[in-house]
Amino acid sequence: MNNQDMTKTLRDYIAQHYAIDAGDPDFTDDVHLFDYGYIDSFGAVDLVNFVQQAFAITISQSDMVAYPMNTINEIVQFASLRKQGEL
Amino acid sequence: MPTMRVDLESTNPEYLGQVRYAMTFVSEDVLSYEILEPEGKVVIELRPGADVESMQGKVQQLLERYRQNEFGMKSAVYLDQRRPLPEINAWAGMVERRWATPVGEGHVILRGPAARLHALVDRKAVTMFGGEFRAEQEIFPSTIESKTLDRCNHFTSFPEHMGFVSHLQQDLDVLSQFSSACRTGGWSTALHDGKMGAYDFAISPSCCYHAYEGMEGWDLEKPGRCITAILNCQRYEGANHASLSRLRSFYMREVVWVGQPSWVIASRAKAEELICQWAKDWELSCTLEIANDMFFTDDFAVKASFQRQQEAKRELRMDIPSDKNSISVFSSNFHATTFGKAFGITVGGRPAVSACVGWGCERWVYALLSQFGFDPVKWPTGLKRDYDSLTTEGTL
Repeated sequence: MNNQDMTKTLRDYIAQHYAIDAGDPDFTDDVHLFDYGYIDSFGAVDLVNFVQQAFAITISQSDMVAYPMNTINEIVQFASLRKQGEL
Repeated sequence: MPTMRVDLESTNPEYLGQVRYAMTFVSEDVLSYEILEPEGKVVIELRPGADVESMQGKVQQLLERYRQNEFGMKSAVYLDQRRPLPEINAWAGMVERRWATPVGEGHVILRGPAARLHALVDRKAVTMFGGEFRAEQEIFPSTIESKTLDRCNHFTSFPEHMGFVSHLQQDLDVLSQFSSACRTGGWSTALHDGKMGAYDFAISPSCCYHAYEGMEGWDLEKPGRCITAILNCQRYEGANHASLSRLRSFYMREVVWVGQPSWVIASRAKAEELICQWAKDWELSCTLEIANDMFFTDDFAVKASFQRQQEAKRELRMDIPSDKNSISVFSSNFHATTFGKAFGITVGGRPAVSACVGWGCERWVYALLSQFGFDPVKWPTGLKRDYDSLTTEGTL
């Protein structure tokens, strides 16, 4: 799965799982998902579980502290580097 | 007196602090407790006849809450301004001078210079922050509907500190019997048993909830609204009540922003800049750092670690040399769309986000006197300047 596919997979999951309107102009790949209220603390647990499963990677507590994963692009970037063994 | 000794899994100060705070709420059979930090144990003294097995289960359940941190416990310090300070027992000094009189668990009357410092902190917050953000003044009731707190999910985060309000039933017999019993034997809590109405109100545990319920259903003009208010709040803290550092009844001044995310986030950042200026001007020994609320529920780990990871809470903490500790005197909080969604507040058609900053006025008094003592002549120049300007206005 390349970065483009990962982005689409993640965007579709978030839009569906967190009930985001199809035409929401603020919902972009760079929007801060938590500051804009798309996802809360419990939603974040689901999101981390989904990312680990969908992209076959592991995310540790220290990863959550060390790497920003607040936007779709940030999450995809992290997942891509982790898959390549660069993180 | 039966005693329990329970092993703690960690000696991490954060973990121990959480356990120390929460242990008082395990059971009313807990008479006292002490955390032995070097040994990593907590020793609990129980009421005679307490069910020890049940107590052990409850203590383990409580400890389990603090073991996991779903998102790690991020920490960062944004202002670290330390100065050497003498050890001053501010509480004893205030009581001795009659600047403070305790009047029941976690209740204190302030007067004299302590009352003037209280007023000074509030006035400075209003002029400095209210002025910067053109905040609208609002006046709030001291009680709040229980159903409003439920909509804010307050009960699922902080059930332990609630103070619910009720009244005697509207019944001639109940009222007459209560009055008659007080006349003959004096008042006691037993006179209320089975005689109270619904607990449909609570004493406000925080200032800003009224701000959100007051805007229910509003569609705000961009970028949003800024509000300021002060409120006497109440939080029951069990054995944690101490001096002015953890009161049951206290005043909280808040500045609240509700509106577009970019504006709310920028306003909160500006407010944190201002509080750092204030801390420098008054030469406070303090830090501004990431923090978390003491969520008193089994999902503590998710909520607290996520709050830290998102830096949704930062606190200005002032050193208290005599307590060998620090206390939070100012907090900065970001709520995303939690309250916008709960009360249908929108801006440009989207749920509004909110943030607030708050001052615990009594804590400021305690921390200032702990750091600088009782003689205003010896206070830092900026603090003395502001204090003198207040006292020469002739209003106090």
